[in-house]
Amino acid sequence: MERMFPPKKPSTMNSHDRPMCVQGDSGLVLTTDPKPRLRWTVELHERFVDAVTQLGGPDKATPKTIMRVMGVKGLTLYHLKSHLQKFRLGKQPHKEFNDHSIKDGMRASALELQRNTATSSAMIGRNMNEMQIEVQRRLHEQLEVQKHLQLRIEAQGKYMQSILEKAYQTLAGENMASAATNLKGSIVPHQSIPDMGVLKEFGSPLGFSSFQDLENIYGGDQIDLQHNMEKPTLDHGFMPINESLCLGKKRSNPYSGSGKSPLIWSDDLRLQDLGGPASSCLGPQDDPFKGDQIQITPPGSLDRGSTDIDPMSEIYDSKPVLQGEAVVGEKKFDASMKLERPSPRRAPLQAERMSPMISTGTMAQGIYNTEFRKIEQCNIAIESIKTLKASGVDDCNLKLWN
Amino acid sequence: MEVHMDMDIDIDFIHNLHFSPDTTNTTPSSDDDYGCNWNHWSPLVNWDAFTGPHDDFHHLIDSIVCDAAAPEYPSPDDHGASNSPSASITEEDDAEEETAAADDSKGLRLVHLLMAAAEALTGATKSRDLARVILVRLKELVSHAAHGSNMDRLAAYFTDALQGLLEGAGGAHSNGKHQYYMTCGSHHPRDDHHHQNDTLAAFQLLQDMSPYVKFGHFTANQAILEAVAHERRVHIVDYDIMEGVQWASLMQALASNKTGPPGPHLRITALSRTGAGRRSIATVQETGRRLTAFAASLGQPFSFHQCRLDPDETFKTSSLKLVRGEALIFNCMLNLPHLSYRAPDSVASFLSGAKELKPRLVTLVEEEVGSSVGGFVGRFMDSLHHYSAVFDSLEAGFPMQGRARALVERVFFGPKIVGSLARIYRTGEELEERGSWGEWLGAAGFRGVPMSFANHCQAKLLLGLFNDGYRVEELGTNKLVLDWKSRRLLSASLWTSSSSDTH
Repeated sequence: MERMFPPKKPSTMNSHDRPMCVQGDSGLVLTTDPKPRLRWTVELHERFVDAVTQLGGPDKATPKTIMRVMGVKGLTLYHLKSHLQKFRLGKQPHKEFNDHSIKDGMRASALELQRNTATSSAMIGRNMNEMQIEVQRRLHEQLEVQKHLQLRIEAQGKYMQSILEKAYQTLAGENMASAATNLKGSIVPHQSIPDMGVLKEFGSPLGFSSFQDLENIYGGDQIDLQHNMEKPTLDHGFMPINESLCLGKKRSNPYSGSGKSPLIWSDDLRLQDLGGPASSCLGPQDDPFKGDQIQITPPGSLDRGSTDIDPMSEIYDSKPVLQGEAVVGEKKFDASMKLERPSPRRAPLQAERMSPMISTGTMAQGIYNTEFRKIEQCNIAIESIKTLKASGVDDCNLKLWN
Repeated sequence: MEVHMDMDIDIDFIHNLHFSPDTTNTTPSSDDDYGCNWNHWSPLVNWDAFTGPHDDFHHLIDSIVCDAAAPEYPSPDDHGASNSPSASITEEDDAEEETAAADDSKGLRLVHLLMAAAEALTGATKSRDLARVILVRLKELVSHAAHGSNMDRLAAYFTDALQGLLEGAGGAHSNGKHQYYMTCGSHHPRDDHHHQNDTLAAFQLLQDMSPYVKFGHFTANQAILEAVAHERRVHIVDYDIMEGVQWASLMQALASNKTGPPGPHLRITALSRTGAGRRSIATVQETGRRLTAFAASLGQPFSFHQCRLDPDETFKTSSLKLVRGEALIFNCMLNLPHLSYRAPDSVASFLSGAKELKPRLVTLVEEEVGSSVGGFVGRFMDSLHHYSAVFDSLEAGFPMQGRARALVERVFFGPKIVGSLARIYRTGEELEERGSWGEWLGAAGFRGVPMSFANHCQAKLLLGLFNDGYRVEELGTNKLVLDWKSRRLLSASLWTSSSSDTH
C-alpha cells in the first residue's frame, strides 16, 4: 500500500495550513494540531477492530501491538491509546462490573460519554454514535434482564405459595376438624395453580414489594406496563382481596406470585410489640409460634371473627401490619404515593438509585438526588407506619374500607 | 502489664475473670491473662509462635479476633487502642463507655471464650474439664433469644455445637457424635409436620430476607437457559431437588419465550436418597407432583423422574434414564442454607457421573470457605467468621424483624453450625484438605463455561433488591461469588466436560 505521509508530516504542515485535514489512502484523516487528532473512519475502525480481534480481544491488545498489526502509517500510539480505551469502554461495560456495581459502572460510562461529548469537538459524531449505541444496547440488555428477573421472582414466589398452601392444608386437616371444612372450602379453589394471568392479577396488589422494587429499577419505561398489570386487579380482584386482608378473612394468594412476602417487610412493629419471652422466637400466648413449633390455630379461636385464614398471615401473625400494609398498598395506586413503603428495608430505594441509568439523559444527575431521597422515603415509610400504628390500625382500616 | 505465665488457675479464677467488672478496659487485660493461663492448661496450643514482644502477642490475638468477627466490630483500630497494654484506665474512660462499646467488649469476650473452648477440645491432650467449664460460663452469657445481639445468638449456636462435641467426644468416636446430631430431631409424625412447617416458614423467610437462595437458583437457571437455547428437549439431573423451588423460575422462562419456537420439553430427574429413609423418596415424589402441576399451569411440556442413589448415597450413571437427543444438564446445589449436608463421596460420585456422561453444562453452587489452615481452631474461627457474616447480613437487611430472623437461624443456621463443627472436629486432626468442588471439577478436567453478561447483570440486580452490603464478585470467567461485605459466602460456577464447544 502506498503511504503518503511520513510520520512527521502533520506537524510540518501545521505551520502553513492550520485547519486543513489530510487524507491518504491509508484512510487517515488528521487535523493539523500539534497533537494531530485523527478521524476514525469506518474503514479505519474496522481495521482497528480486526487488529484487536486478532490480538485476542480488547483486553489483551495493547496500543503498541495494535499499531504493529494495523500497520497504518501515521497512526500513533497516542491515537490508538485513546481509541482503545474508548473501545474497551464501549465494548465491555461488562468489565466494569467487576469493580463497581451496575450503577457505578453505568455512571462511569455515562460520565465518560459526557466527557467525550465535551472534549471531542474534533471527534466526529459517528464515533459518538457508535458508543452511544453500544451503551444503549447494554442498557437495553439490562432492562431485559430486569424484566426476566421480575418474572422469575414471581414464578418462584408463586411456587413457594403452592407449597405453603399445601402444608397449611395438611396441618389444618390434621389439627382442626371443624375449621378444616371451612378452610378447604375456601382454599381448594385456589389450590389448583392459577395460570400466569391470574397470577398477575392477584399478584400486583399484594406482591407490590418486589413489584415496586423492580418498578423503581425500571424507571419510567416500565411504569406503564406496571399500570396495565395492575388495572385489571384494581377493577376486579383488588377490593375483595384487600377487604379480606383487613378483616382477617380469606386471603387467597398470600404470595401473590411475587417472591417477596408482603408480610414480613413491615411486621417489625408487631414483632416489637410482642416482644415476647426470649428463648425461641415466641410471642405471647396467642402468638402462633407455640413452643418450638408453629401452630396454626383455627381462625375461630382467635378473636378475629374470621372463618378463614391465610397460612402466612398466621405464621407471621402480622395481621395488624397486614392491615397497615393493605392501607399502604392502597396508596400505591395513587401514583404520588407509590414509593411510600412501610418497610425499613433499603432495597427498593437502593434499586431506585439505579433507575437514573435507564435513561441516558439523566444518568449523571440524579444519583446524588436519589441518595438523598432515599433517606427521605425511608423516613416517610417509617412515619406512615407509626402513624397507622398510633392511630390504631383498626380505625384506619374502618375508615378506608368501610 | 506482665504476663502471668505461672499463675495458678482454678475454676474460680475463670469465673472471676469473666465476672469481673466489665469495662472494656479491663477485659483485654483479662483476656491477656487468660490466653497465657490458657497455655498453662492446654499445652497443646503452640504458644511458642507468640514468643515475640508482648505487643506482638496482643496484636496477634487482635488480628485473629478481628478477622474472625470483623462484622461485629466496626473498627479494629479501636480494639488495638483499647487492648493496648499501655492504655491507662481512668475514671473518665469508664464514664465514656457507651453501650455499643460494651457490646463490642462482650462480643470480643465471647469470641475469646469460644476460641478457648474450641482449643480445649482439640489436640493431643484435651482438657475436657476446662472445656466444660468454659461452656458453662458461655451459656450464662449467651442466649438464642431474638432480642439478644447478633453475637449473642451466634455464640449461643456455637456454644451448643461445642457442647455437642464435648458430649459426643465422651462416648464413642465420630459415629457417636454423628448420631447425636442425627437423633436431635424427633420423629413423632405430628412433630414432623410441625417441624416441616417451621422449615417451610423459615425457608420462605430466608428467601425474602436474603439473596442466598435466589442467587444460586437464578444464576444456575440463566446459564441453563443459555446453554439450551435452541434445544428441543432438555434433561436436567438435579442432585438435591428439595422442594423444587429452583425449577419454577426456569419453567417460567422456558414457557414465556415468545420469540423463538415453542419451548423445549423439559425433563427433570431428581436424585433421591434411599438411605435417608422413606421420607426422602416421598418428598421427592411430592416435589414431582408439584412441579408437574406447575408446569401444566404454564403450558410447559414437562416430565419428572426419580433416580435413587445407592444406600451409601453414591450415584451410578447406569441408574439414570437417558434419551437420545436431549441436552443434558447436571445441576448441583450444595450448602445453600436450606439444604442438608451431603457427604463428599456422594457429591464426588455425582460429579464423576457428570464426567462420564458429558452433559452440556454442570451448574455448581457451593459455600465458599476460608482457608482451613490452623487445624480445628483455625477452621472453627473461619466458621465463626462465616456465620457471623451471614447473621450480620440478615440483621442488616431486617434490623427490626428479630423474631423472623431468630426463626431462620434456629431452623437453618443452628443445625448447620452444629453439623459443620462436628465435621470439622472429626476431620480436623487428619486435615482432610479437599478444597472447593469447583477446584475438584477443574482438576477432573472440566472446563469453565463463561458467565454471560446477562447472568452477571441478573445477579447484580438481584442483590440490588437487598441490602447494600451484598456484592457479587466475578472470579475467573465462570464463577460468580456472593459476598457479604468482604466475606465470600456462596459461589455459583459453570462447567462442562463435553468436548464440543457449545458457544
